Amino acid sequence: MKKKLVLMTVLIFGLSVALISCVTMQVKPTEKNFIAPKVTLESFMVPQYDGYWYFSSKVKPTKGDAGNRGAALPMSFLFNVENKNPYPILLDGMVFTVVFDKEFSLVTYNNQDEYWIPAGKTDQVRATTLITARSALLSLMVTGGFKLKAKGWSPWKALETWWKGVPEGITPVDITECSFSFSANGVSRVFPYEIKAQ
Amino acid sequence: MKKGIFLKILVMFLAVAFLAGFSTVAVAKKIKVGGLMDTTGATSDVGKDYAIGMADAFKYINSQGGVNGKKIKYIWFDYGYRIPEAITKYKMLKRLGNIAIMGWGTGDTEALSPTVNKDKLPYVSASYSAHLTDPKKTPYNLFFSSDYSTNARSAITAWFDKKWPKHKDFGKRKPRFACCYMFASPYGSAPIKAIKDQAKLLGFEIGPDQDVSLFAIDTKSQVMALKKFKPDVVWHGNTTMSVAATVRDAYALGLGADWIINNWGFDENLPRLAGKAAEGVMGATPCAFFGQNYKNMDLVVSSAEQYSPGVPKGKRLIRTVQAWGDALVLWEAMKRADKKGVDLTKKGCGPGIMKEGFETMRNFDIGLGAAPISYTATDHRPATGCLIQEWKGGKFQTVEAVDLKKRWPKLWATKWLGW
Repeated sequence: MKKKLVLMTVLIFGLSVALISCVTMQVKPTEKNFIAPKVTLESFMVPQYDGYWYFSSKVKPTKGDAGNRGAALPMSFLFNVENKNPYPILLDGMVFTVVFDKEFSLVTYNNQDEYWIPAGKTDQVRATTLITARSALLSLMVTGGFKLKAKGWSPWKALETWWKGVPEGITPVDITECSFSFSANGVSRVFPYEIKAQ
Repeated sequence: MKKGIFLKILVMFLAVAFLAGFSTVAVAKKIKVGGLMDTTGATSDVGKDYAIGMADAFKYINSQGGVNGKKIKYIWFDYGYRIPEAITKYKMLKRLGNIAIMGWGTGDTEALSPTVNKDKLPYVSASYSAHLTDPKKTPYNLFFSSDYSTNARSAITAWFDKKWPKHKDFGKRKPRFACCYMFASPYGSAPIKAIKDQAKLLGFEIGPDQDVSLFAIDTKSQVMALKKFKPDVVWHGNTTMSVAATVRDAYALGLGADWIINNWGFDENLPRLAGKAAEGVMGATPCAFFGQNYKNMDLVVSSAEQYSPGVPKGKRLIRTVQAWGDALVLWEAMKRADKKGVDLTKKGCGPGIMKEGFETMRNFDIGLGAAPISYTATDHRPATGCLIQEWKGGKFQTVEAVDLKKRWPKLWATKWLGW
C-alpha cells in the first residue's frame, strides 16, 4: 500500500516536471522573434446619436444645473488583432488620436486593459470613446485654432459639420499616433499603426 | 524506513507546489499608480505630450525592474481639464487602490488638495503652483519643477539682469512691466502676486493686467491696451497656443516689448506657431527641451521611440521631459520608502512614501537639465531658482540661471514659501 503511494507520488511529480518541460520547450518569445501583430479596423460606428446642440451656461435648463454643455458624440472602433507569433501574446495597452477632416485632433484615447491572444489567432478588441461638443470645442481651440483661422472656418461651423458628418459617414475620420503594446514572457514590444476609419 | 522516504518525497513535492503558488502571487502584486491627464481639454495643446511622456516613463521604469523588483501598474485617464471630472476620477483611482496619483492642472490640483491631504495620498502634479509647496497646508502635494512663482520671479530677474542694462532708457527711468494671463485660470493667476512683488523689489513700474483667454487666437484688443502703457517687458502666463497668438499680434502691431513666459507657454511649438515674432522671447525652463544634450535625456528620447512609435519624434516636446521629471521623483521616493520597509502594494502607505521617500531627498539629481531637488518636512519647494532661456537664431539659448535663494536668502526662507 505504502509502496503504491510512494510510486504514485513519484509518478505525479515526474509528470508535472514533464508537463512543465513541454511548456518550456515551446518557442520562447524574444525581442528578435516577436512578430508585429497585424491590427486592422473591423468597423467604426457611432453607437448612440443625439444630434448636434450646444447650450451656454447662460441658458437655464429645465432640470439640473446650467453649464456650457454640448451634444455627445460616442465613437466605437472594433479592431482585429492577429497574433502571427507561435506563442500567446498579451495586448496590454493601446493609445491613439482621433482626427477629423485629416488634420483636426479631437481626442486621444488610451486603454490599459489586458487581452490574451492565442498563438496564430485573431482576436477582436473594441475601443469606445466619447467627446462632447463642449470638450471638442476646447480641444479644437487650443490645438487647431490657427488651422481653423487659416481655412476661414469658425469652430462652431466645424463642430456642426462634424457632428452631422461623422455619423453619416461623410466626414473623414482617421486614427493617428496609434500604438498597441504587447508582451509575452517578459518581452514587451510596442508597434505603431495608422488606420483610416472612414 | 519506507515511511521516511515517502514523507521526504511528499514534503519536497508540497514545498515545490507551495513555492510555485507563492511566487505566482508575489509576481502578481503590483504597485498601483494613477494618472489624471488633459488630452482633450483647454490645456491639451501641452497636456497630450505630457500624458504620453508619463506613460513612456512608467514603461521605462518597469523595464528597469520597477520599484526594487516590484512592477508598477500605471493607469491614466483624460479628464479634459474639467474640475468636476477630475474629482470624480480621483475618487475612482483611490477606490481602485492607487497609492499615488500623477495629476495635471492647477485648478483641479488645488481643488483636490484638501481631499488628497485627508486621504494621505501623494499627488505629484504638473501644476507647479507655489500654493502647493507649504507642507503645513498641502503636505501631500509635490512636483519636481521650480514652482510658478519661482519661475516668474526668476524670469523677471533675468530680464532685469541681462536685457534692461542694454535698453536705451537704462538709468533714465524705471522699467515698465505688465502681465497677460487668463484671469479665470488658476494656473494663469497663480504666480501674479509673486511676480508683481518681485517687480516692486527690482524697482519696476507696473501697468494694468490684460485678460487673455487660453483659447485666444486674436488678442489685438489686449495688445492695443498694452500699447497705451508702453511696457518694456510683459509676462505671459498662459499655454503655448494663446501665448503664440499674443506674441504674433504684438509683433504685428509693433508693441516693442520683450516677452517673458511661464513654462507651459514656452516650448518647441512656440516658434512653429509664432514664427518671426518668437525671436527673443524668453521663458522659464525648469528642465531641458526634448532631445537637448543633458544627463538622462537619452533615456527619454529612446523611450519615446520605443514606447510611443506612433508619435513622430519631431512632435515630441519639453512636456515629455517634464512628465519624466515627475515620474522620476516619485520612482525615487518609492524606492527609498520600499527599502525602509514601506509596503507600497497596500493602501495607506502615503505617509511612509512622504517620510521615508520624498522628504529624504536633498539635492537629488534627476538629470534632464532640472535643478537638484530637495523636499523637507517643512518645505516642498523642489528648486531654489529656474533656468531662463530665450528663442534666438533658431534655437533655445541660456539667458541666466537664477538662484533666488542665493540672491535673497532671507526672503526665500521667511517670506516666499507657499505663494
